[in-house]
Formats: sequence, structure tokens, C-alpha cells
Amino acid sequence: MKIVVCIKQVPESNNVKFDPVTHNLLRSASTGRINPYDKNAIEAALRLRDTVGGSVSVLTMGPPAAEETLRDGLAMGADDAYLLSSRAFGGADTLATGYTIAQAIRKIGGVDLLVFGRQAVDADTGQVGPIVAELLDQPQVTFASKIAVLDDHTLHVTRDLDDRKQTIRLTLPAVLSVRSELNTPRYETPVNIQDSFTKPLTVWNEKDIAADPTRIGLQGSPTVVTKVFAPENAGRQNQQLTGTPAEAVDQLINILQQQNLI
Amino acid sequence: MTNTEEIWILAEHDANRVQPVTFQLITKARAIAAGRRVVVVLLEGTQEHFAEQISAYGPDEIIRVSADSLERPADSTAASALMQLMAKRQPNAMLFAATAQGRSIAPRLQAKLGTGLTADCLDLRFDGDNLVAVKPSYGDNVMCEITCPQRRPQMVSVRPNTFTAEKAGGVRTKITTAELTLAAPKGIVIEDEQVAVSSATGVTGASKVIALGRGAKGDATVARTRQLAARLGASVGVSRPLTDRDDFTVEQQIGQSGNTIAPDFLLNVGISGATQYLVGIDQAKLIVSVNRDADAPIMAQSDYTYTGDAEAFLKAFANRLDVK
Ligand SMILES: Cc1cc2nc3c(=O)[nH]c(=O)nc-3n(C[C@H](O)[C@H](O)[C@H](O)COP(=O)(O)OP(=O)(O)OC[C@H]3O[C@@H](n4cnc5c(N)ncnc54)[C@H](O)[C@@H]3O)c2cc1C
Ligand SMILES: Nc1ncnc2c1ncn2[C@@H]1O[C@H](COP(=O)(O)O)[C@@H](O)[C@H]1O
Repeated sequence: MKIVVCIKQVPESNNVKFDPVTHNLLRSASTGRINPYDKNAIEAALRLRDTVGGSVSVLTMGPPAAEETLRDGLAMGADDAYLLSSRAFGGADTLATGYTIAQAIRKIGGVDLLVFGRQAVDADTGQVGPIVAELLDQPQVTFASKIAVLDDHTLHVTRDLDDRKQTIRLTLPAVLSVRSELNTPRYETPVNIQDSFTKPLTVWNEKDIAADPTRIGLQGSPTVVTKVFAPENAGRQNQQLTGTPAEAVDQLINILQQQNLI
Repeated sequence: MTNTEEIWILAEHDANRVQPVTFQLITKARAIAAGRRVVVVLLEGTQEHFAEQISAYGPDEIIRVSADSLERPADSTAASALMQLMAKRQPNAMLFAATAQGRSIAPRLQAKLGTGLTADCLDLRFDGDNLVAVKPSYGDNVMCEITCPQRRPQMVSVRPNTFTAEKAGGVRTKITTAELTLAAPKGIVIEDEQVAVSSATGVTGASKVIALGRGAKGDATVARTRQLAARLGASVGVSRPLTDRDDFTVEQQIGQSGNTIAPDFLLNVGISGATQYLVGIDQAKLIVSVNRDADAPIMAQSDYTYTGDAEAFLKAFANRLDVK
């Protein structure tokens, strides 16, 4: 089974800086780390490979420094890596990102399964997986919480919706996005970390993937961030309940009674 | 695309009921419509009839598409149905619930249309013809306003419980039936669907919630909290670490990878207040938090705080209410 896992480099912390003019994230300002949910995606892919054979590639679109994130994926056990990197990809929203990744998947060719994380923790959209699935005209199962192999071309997937679980038979080629409950990602071992520097890493720009210049980067992004601001404190009163636990509870019960909550 | 000045909303329902978030979206759309028509798209099975529940909230129109394959549609089928409807009438804006289902269908439709989609919005307004979506980023440390100036429809998804639903009297909702040709989805068979645990034990719709975190994780504490909650008519929710316990799952988890809640009363016990947790409790009305660390981030996000031991507080609360 030829599997590609799409991973994203996200800021190390959520204390981020923005370009005051373009409102874009100043990525260079903070070192990146792999989007935590994408580790679950890599783990899922590695387990599938270990069951049925095949290969696992990790792929990211990002600045040259995103190579580090790919090395993390390789150190977990992926076989090779693709970095989609070019100034022309900069400023991409989810649509342009999805298009760029879809083009790369076409170029790689023969991919049976694409695995995405549930969502990236910087923007929290979870859109890129379904966009790629649509552009490649493939079926998708989002929010997968269990994956079983039926045969080389068929998976049995449990999908957790908010209040329901679905059991789905999925014929490859297909796209999955996985929930973090699916598995516990393995640690990078020293041997794998060492190996990660010798595994193949391919860098592609917009020409390599035959991308339509109007569909990538800022130009291919229909959404515009018009304003960035600090969220206001919800205006909470921060009053203290005081004394012993019993005294504090009495104060609380008073408040609840006043508000007809008890 | 021509702009017919319509705001569309995709209705969400399970086998039994329309999801409250659909009503919340209708109410909000009506509030910001400024003359635009509010149209609900209802995709349902041939045995299902949800239009009446929806019309109580006063949309101008419901476009009902009824087919066997729409009882449990694949995401691609739902997206394709919406695409076909949009080939006939192009809405100015399209609103989705930021539920697992909405988050899966909307981006597929987005890719078909080549338009913009802003996920997980906390507020919406029109600025002229542009829908301004207010959205948190970086674990809610930053708020962004996002528009889609060049393409239509402008699409957004909105977290459940962000807006309050209100029934509307005196609106005559027109119900239109649309016939579509829906091909069987490629490569996917939804074999079975089950209601996860019991929704009644979930925290999403609860009006009172007692939430336990790592500082309140012992068996005795959990047992006492359950009794206290029963006495108060509250649900028990948890921060993510407590889902490691066998008796809690993501159904009870509050936060970014769990549920957004909007109770009238929320009591946080032994929860530090990580941003991933806080995003789930923004909309709670009265927040009271108990933590032995006066500087825990949760305290700054609370109306009332008590600095002290979780177990001792819960015990006193239970005693005071005569819960054993
Ligand atoms: C991608 C991602 C998604 C996530 N999604 C979620 C999510 O949806 N929901 C979620 O909750 N978390 C989520 N997390 C985890 C989150 O970052 C925190 O780790 C988690 O919320 C911490 O839970 P906690 O407050 O219970 O535990 P801790 O952070 O360990 O806090 C325990 C608190 O209890 C207090 N305490 C300890 N003992 C006592 C005592 N005896 N009496 C009183 N107080 C006491 C401590 O002072 C402390 O403040 C996510 C993380 C990631 C990376
Ligand atoms: N720039 C990117 N490069 C590779 N994969 C990405 C990128 N952005 C998002 N993804 C993938 O898409 C998933 C959802 O991301 P998002 O839609 O941004 O929340 C992530 O978990 C990744 O698997």
C-alpha cells in the first residue's frame, strides 16, 4: 500500500507574531514543531504499512525550515519525504494549500491512501484533507477513530461524528483524516533519528508539480484576513470565594440561589 | 456569479431531530440578513420530515431534497447535492455548523466552488456585501476577521452554541422541493450508524456542568461528583486527561478536541485552564472554578474562584446539599 501522510509545521507555542501589514504569520519568528494531530496520522500510516506492506511518505508544504518536521516524520519511521517549498506558495489559505498538495499527489502517482491529521492546531480548520479528496475525486473518511484492513484495496473505518459512530467500507484510493483517539504515536528512536538524515527527501516547487500559478499561494487564496486582534477577556468578575470549603460552598449556594440556578 | 442575496444554511439532523445548531444559525442569519432571504437546505431521507421543526425558527424558505441516499449521505453526496442546487440559484453566503459533519461537507463543496471557507467562527456580520467572519486562531490566543471579497458564495462554519436560537412567530416559510440526480458515492459505503453512548450523558446541551480535571481524578471524587451532579441536575464533564479513565470518553470531554459547551452554570474542579480547554467554555454564563493554585489560568477566566483542595470543596458541597 502506497501511503502519503500530509503533515504541517505549526508554531512551537501559541504566542505568535503577525506581520502588521499583511496580517500573515511571521513564521520565522518561532521555531516550528510538527502539528500534534499529524503524529497520529503518521502512526496510523506506519501501522497500516506494518500490516500490509508498502511505503509511507511524509509530505509538507512550507518554508525550507519545514524540512525539520519532515525529519521528525522520517524519524518516526516513514520511508521518504516531500517538501513543497517556494515563495510562490506563501500566503496560501486552505484552498490553495489543498490544491498544491493535490498537484503533488498527482505527480507522485499511484498513491493508494492519503492520511491527514484531524486539524492543524494553528488555524484549527480541518479543511485541507476534504479539499484534497474533492480535487482528486476520491472518497474521504474524516474523524476516523479505528482503521482495519479488509484487503489490499479496502479498509473498514470507524468514524466518530459528534453524537454518532459510523462504520464505513472504504475502497482505495482514498483520503482519511484521523482522530487523536485512534492511537498513541510512537517515539522517535535514536536509530531512526540517525536514519532520518539519510532517507530521501525531495523538494518540489510550483513548476515541478505543474501548478496553475493562479491557484497557489496568496493569489489562489480567496479568503483575506482583514483584522487580527487580541480576544477580549469575557469580562469575568474574578471574585473570590473565601474561608473554609464549607464557607465557600455557602457563598456559592447563595450565588446560585440568587440566579435561580438551584 | 450573480448574487441573489440569499443566505443559505445547511440543516443538520440525525435520525430523530434537527440539531439545535441549525436553529442557532437561522436565528443569527435572520439577525444579520438586512433584507437578504434566509434559506435552509434540508437533505433528508424519504421517510424523514424535518421541515416543520425548522420552520418554527422563521427562515424565508426551506429547500427540501428527499432521497433514500440522503438519510445517511456520504460527504461527497451531500456536497454534490449542494453543488447542484447552487447551479440553479447562487447564494451570497452559505453557513454550516462546525460539527464533524459540517466540517467534512463544507470543504468538499468549497473545493468544487473554488471559493473561501472560514471555519469555526464565533461571530458573523455583513460589511456591505462581504460577510465578515470572526474566528479564533492559535488556540484562541488571537482573533481574526476574515472575508472572501472576490468569490461567492462566501462560506463559513460556526461552532454549536455560539449563538442563541429563538423561535420566530409570523414568518411564513415557503417550502420548496428540489429533485436532484444523485449518483452513488464512489468508493464508500456507510454500512452502519450508531448513536454514540447516550447523548444524554454528553455535555453539549447541558444547562449545568461540573467539570473535573487532573486535580480531581480519584475514584471517590468522581463518584461524589456524579451524585452531586445528579442532585443539581448537572452533567459531569472532563478535561482531556480524564478521558483516560474508562468511565469518561470524548463525549464528556470539553475543549478543542472535545465539545463546546454553553451551560448556565459551570463548576471547574482541578482544571488548570489550558487554552485547548478554555475554547470549549467561552460561552458558559456563570463560571466558578476551584483550584489549589490561585494563579492557574482557569482562575482569570472565572466569575468566582476558590483557592483550595478539590476533594474538600466537593465534599463540603455534597454535605451542604445532603448528598452522601
Ligand atoms: C492538539 C491538542 C488538543 C487538546 N484538546 C484538549 C481538549 O479538547 N480538552 C482538554 O481539556 N484538553 C485538551 N488538550 C490538553 C490540554 O493542553 C491540557 O493538557 C489539559 O486541558 C489539562 O487538563 P487539566 O487541566 O485537567 O490538567 P492539568 O493541566 O494537569 O491541571 C490540573 C490542575 O489541577 C490543580 N490541582 C491539582 N491537585 C489539586 C487539588 N488536590 N485540588 C485542587 N486543584 C488541584 C492544579 O493546580 C492544576 O491547575 C489538548 C492538547 C493538544 C495538544
Ligand atoms: N501546509 C501543509 N502541508 C501539508 N499538510 C498540511 C498542510 N496544512 C494542513 N495540512 C494537513 O491537513 C490537516 C488539516 O489541516 P487544516 O485544514 O489546516 O486544519 C493537517 O492535520 C495536515 O495533515
